Amino acid sequence: MNEALLTLGFALVTASILALSAVAFTLQYAVTNVANVSHGEILTVGAYAAYLVHQRTGSAVAAAIGAALAGGFAALAMHSAVIGPFIRFGATPTIIFIATLGMSFVIQNTLVIFFGAANVAYTLDPGAPMHLGPFLLTPLDLQIIASAIAITFVLYLIISRTKFGKALRAVSQNRELARVTGINATRVAAATFFLAGLIAGYAGFILAESVGSFNPYFGFSFFLITLTAAVAGGLGKAFGTMIGAVLVGIILEFAGGYISASYNLAFAFALLAIVILVRPRGLFTNARRTVFE
Amino acid sequence: MNAPSKTLDRPPALAVRGLTKHFGGVYAVEDCSFEAPAGQVTGLIGPNGAGKSTAIDLISGFKLPDTGTVIFKDRALEGLPPHVISRLGLIRTFQAPREWPGLTVLENVVMARWDAGREGFLRGLVGLGLTQRGTAADELVRAREILDEFGLAKLRNERAGNLSGGQKRLVEFARIRMAQPELVILDEPMGGVNPVLGERMAVAIEAFIASGTSVIVVEHNLPFIERVTQHVIVMAQGTVIAEGPFETLRSNRDVIDAYLGEVVKQ
Amino acid sequence: MSAYLVSVLTEGAIFGIMALGLNVIWGWSGDFDLAYYGYIAVGAYMTLVLTIGPAVAPAQYILGLTLPYPLAVVIAVLCSMAVSLVVGSIALRHLRGIYFSIVTLGAVYVMYVLAGQYVPLFDGYNGLSGLFDPMGDWFGLDYQSYQYFLMGLCLVLFVLVFLFMWRISGSRFGMALRTLREDERAAAAFGRDIYRLKLKGYVLGAGVGGFAGALFVAYLSAFNPSAWSPVEIIVLYAAVLVGGRGNIWGVALGVFIMGLIVQESTRFLPEVPGHPQIVLALRGVIIGLVLVLFLRFRPQGLLPERRYVDAQPKLEPDARPV
Repeated sequence: MNEALLTLGFALVTASILALSAVAFTLQYAVTNVANVSHGEILTVGAYAAYLVHQRTGSAVAAAIGAALAGGFAALAMHSAVIGPFIRFGATPTIIFIATLGMSFVIQNTLVIFFGAANVAYTLDPGAPMHLGPFLLTPLDLQIIASAIAITFVLYLIISRTKFGKALRAVSQNRELARVTGINATRVAAATFFLAGLIAGYAGFILAESVGSFNPYFGFSFFLITLTAAVAGGLGKAFGTMIGAVLVGIILEFAGGYISASYNLAFAFALLAIVILVRPRGLFTNARRTVFE
Repeated sequence: MNAPSKTLDRPPALAVRGLTKHFGGVYAVEDCSFEAPAGQVTGLIGPNGAGKSTAIDLISGFKLPDTGTVIFKDRALEGLPPHVISRLGLIRTFQAPREWPGLTVLENVVMARWDAGREGFLRGLVGLGLTQRGTAADELVRAREILDEFGLAKLRNERAGNLSGGQKRLVEFARIRMAQPELVILDEPMGGVNPVLGERMAVAIEAFIASGTSVIVVEHNLPFIERVTQHVIVMAQGTVIAEGPFETLRSNRDVIDAYLGEVVKQ
Repeated sequence: MSAYLVSVLTEGAIFGIMALGLNVIWGWSGDFDLAYYGYIAVGAYMTLVLTIGPAVAPAQYILGLTLPYPLAVVIAVLCSMAVSLVVGSIALRHLRGIYFSIVTLGAVYVMYVLAGQYVPLFDGYNGLSGLFDPMGDWFGLDYQSYQYFLMGLCLVLFVLVFLFMWRISGSRFGMALRTLREDERAAAAFGRDIYRLKLKGYVLGAGVGGFAGALFVAYLSAFNPSAWSPVEIIVLYAAVLVGGRGNIWGVALGVFIMGLIVQESTRFLPEVPGHPQIVLALRGVIIGLVLVLFLRFRPQGLLPERRYVDAQPKLEPDARPV
């Protein structure tokens, strides 16, 4: 019992990072209808930026800001260089999916050229673990969880209260209709990518901190788990995705603890396959369908 | 115009009884029943959202009905997958033309005929013996004839995706001629088509009847419906509100309220 | 003929067979299948465990039957087809587009993790080895002449697979697969059982992939997870795309071009001291860029799929225009 609660505590850390990554992914999906396979590379770029800034300045806060900004500009570049032009060209979502897979390959290998393929150790002092109710968490863990909650809250305010949030929702519901009503869908999509990139870059920073090291491929493996969470929550639905991330984080942490950590990725994917087959539109919508519906 | 088929001894081409389908809480089709006489053109009309397209999807197996039956050639169709229904001899078209855009017009027509046993992969590999070759050649000749009939012969090597909207509709008609079903359901064949082609479409539909294919046609273009149909079914809010020859429906209050009034007001 | 050329031709022929199998699934059926390399790997692993002797501790793996190589190849191909039948019957029933791709990506990761982590299966990350010059002693070949023999065998088999695909390409079956790619609803409306038809194409493609995998281990004499990172197969997709999806001549051309890029870039790019991965990484960048640029500017490939051109019989001059 006690051990289960301890695992749940660790799961909350995983779930926080996963929630940020998945919500960033799903925002991109919402405004473009494209599953961006190179999403993981935003996290990777964020981790490298955080590491470099931290080395120069010695400040974790500066590292976090650097990671977010690097992620934001990386995502913006992905949109303006590849995804946006493909959409204007009229490519199908599957074609763009393949293109982003190619882009992911380009970015990973570019990082290898500049930084090498070896693991980079990156650890912050986690502080002494403390008992908080039944959980055993370090101050670093608490910071991660708190920051994830804060970011979620700010994101909620942006989406629900601002003019930009309204435009974002309009574009995600119907791109053409939004265009007719005078919304510049391309600009909204670009801005959304920047916002998603800020979140994903920061997620890369806290992921690197919590894992303790990273390499050019680390975002891609995490992307696979991100995808599971986003699909479980319903692609393109920001708050369903949050819940999906928490569920997947908890399931993975328990599976890792009780089955074997090395099967984590396979387990995530088996889970994903089941979710897609049983509830292709996410766990929280109740749509039945045949091939043609 | 003769009285509709109920007085004839020929069984109807299609009988629909109590068909119902809802999405969430909204009933798209509710207790819809009608018969389409064999050897005739039946029109299916109604305002947007009347459930015509859903009804076609339910009949052709592209959607599963909640309840109700569809009888075609003494068989209940509901629950059968689309390809089985098609093989039984009921072919439908779609609101937007669905050609195979990357294949040529001729290939589109040839591939419209599904042939049991000839599409197996072993046949593809070792087949093409003399009889196969003969069938393939006959098929090609037939497809050329049909294309010529629709004035598409010059376009036969063009990729179907490059054609205009009207030409795509003609390719669709040519495909149906090739497949020779017993019943065809045309979903808005005049949609997006230059009205000049209307007469040509009407002639093509008459040719379907002549070749033994009964026709159900869903259409908003009422002059076209008047021109081609012998029997008309009016749907509104998911159910059939009236049926009969087009002339008798003109004076039907329900029909006017539900549908024709809008048109007249325009 | 230099040893270099022999190895390039052997690899090229094997790579070509892989691409031809992928072309059935992606080129004709039109499904972007990320699990494809898994079927190649199943073919490779199964050929090894069927031909080499029983495991000696500390190595662990299943079977170890010392079967003759040709028999092992046949069984390995059947295993690839069986695995693809399982994956395909799940993924093809309801899923299309990116959902299909994601589930097949999941399937290949499950296979990859099983092969790498579940040691009793194929000895985990150590992988399998010990298949030396299969069929070589039947003909009394020494190491040198065996390389020529294997090259010739692979080239002949590539030509045979190519002819096989050429036959399929023009058949009713090949055309029916294309109707699924072009418009599935229309295909169903005209009587095609899209699920079974897609599944047939999928299993056929996977079988060809498994066959290529079986040849690959005759060339490598060993196989382990580092030989088939799921992401690395992007080069196979690039080859099919560059040459022309759906056109078997195009696929052959694409294999030649990508082979040239892969081989020659490693040969002529500068070595940077202390950075052994840099050449491989540059190659990766080039492959990724080729994929993106072709998707954007020439998605039909260098040799687009050719269509049947009907020349006969001559039409009347008054054939009505539309």
